[in-house]
Amino acid sequence: MDTGHTVETLKAFEADIVAKFNAGKIKAPVHLGGGNEQTLIDIFDNIKENDWVGGTWRSHLHCLLKGVPPEELKAAILEGRSIALCFPQQRVICSAMVGGIVPVALGLAWAAKRDGKGDKVYCFIGDMAAMSGIVHECTRYARGHDLPLVVIVEDNGKSVATDTKAVWGGNHDINVRRYHYELSYPHVGSGRWVHMQ
Amino acid sequence: MSLYGSLFGRTVSYNGELSRAMTWLGQQERVMFFGQGVGCEGTALSSSLTGVPIDKRIEMPVAEEMQMGMCIGMSLNGYVPVCIIPRWNFMLRAADQLVNHLDRIPLYSSGGYWPKVIIRVAAPSSHPFNPQSQHDADFTEAFRRMFRTTALVRLIDAGMIVSAYQNAFEAKGSTVLVEYAKEYR
Repeated sequence: MDTGHTVETLKAFEADIVAKFNAGKIKAPVHLGGGNEQTLIDIFDNIKENDWVGGTWRSHLHCLLKGVPPEELKAAILEGRSIALCFPQQRVICSAMVGGIVPVALGLAWAAKRDGKGDKVYCFIGDMAAMSGIVHECTRYARGHDLPLVVIVEDNGKSVATDTKAVWGGNHDINVRRYHYELSYPHVGSGRWVHMQ
Repeated sequence: MSLYGSLFGRTVSYNGELSRAMTWLGQQERVMFFGQGVGCEGTALSSSLTGVPIDKRIEMPVAEEMQMGMCIGMSLNGYVPVCIIPRWNFMLRAADQLVNHLDRIPLYSSGGYWPKVIIRVAAPSSHPFNPQSQHDADFTEAFRRMFRTTALVRLIDAGMIVSAYQNAFEAKGSTVLVEYAKEYR
């Protein structure tokens, strides 16, 4: 979708938010976007109006590119809602829980597939979230069931100030061993109804 | 609490009323059922779903957080999911989605989104069969203290079951309904 935004309009919006924050007019957390404006513009070129967008605590630019009017977005930020912005009319939902938006996006995608209208769900996460178990579960399930979920990792190498790669360590091979067998009994108990007093 | 309750002067059973409630929910448009032992046998709750069409019963992996989050997303996209978690201890695995999203989305979206998920959970019995300390909890009051928008109903009598599930379906937001495993007979 083309909202007419350019790198310059996106930068100008965030600069205005910076000014308002520095003036003490936003009494809640803001996580400012920047450095990825053109990449986001290119990604949103492929996102349609009826598609859903899931985002994180750093989502001002995503909201603008999904068609949220700048004044409406600014009002929400001034109300202190920057950390988890929601705009139902534009099908935007965000969360401030690391990785937590992905299962919600998965459910949106499940419903979209069942309804068969061709809607997709684009879910933006950070590089630390991408390492989490919940994201692996959800992307595995989405692929296994051919759901229209696109997860986009915005990799700046950091989670707050923590170096993502350093804390996870260098060897990414999964070290597990597996054997197969056929269980001789039911999941629990013996398979017989036992009367207890 | 009783295994049998009274409804309009007739005696009804806990299991029978659960089946009647699930069958009624299954007849409602865009209601779907998610959980383990939902699309097949497997838990004490499974038998209550035999009146629900199989294409509305989605068997899930053991992935409680994913399941709860999925149900939230489905509800935002027009469905009414029934999310089945057979024990309170297992609900802890879904607690992030349950508290930080399902319960809080109406608040942080300023009422823009009101996900409606109907959650079934069972409080276990401990006598004569004791499920032991990782399976025996009733966290009803702990979760009640964490909720700000989510309703929580104890199904303490068979006679209240069908109307409680009907109310959950008609409600604007989400409801956790606590069943009592000692009544599953």
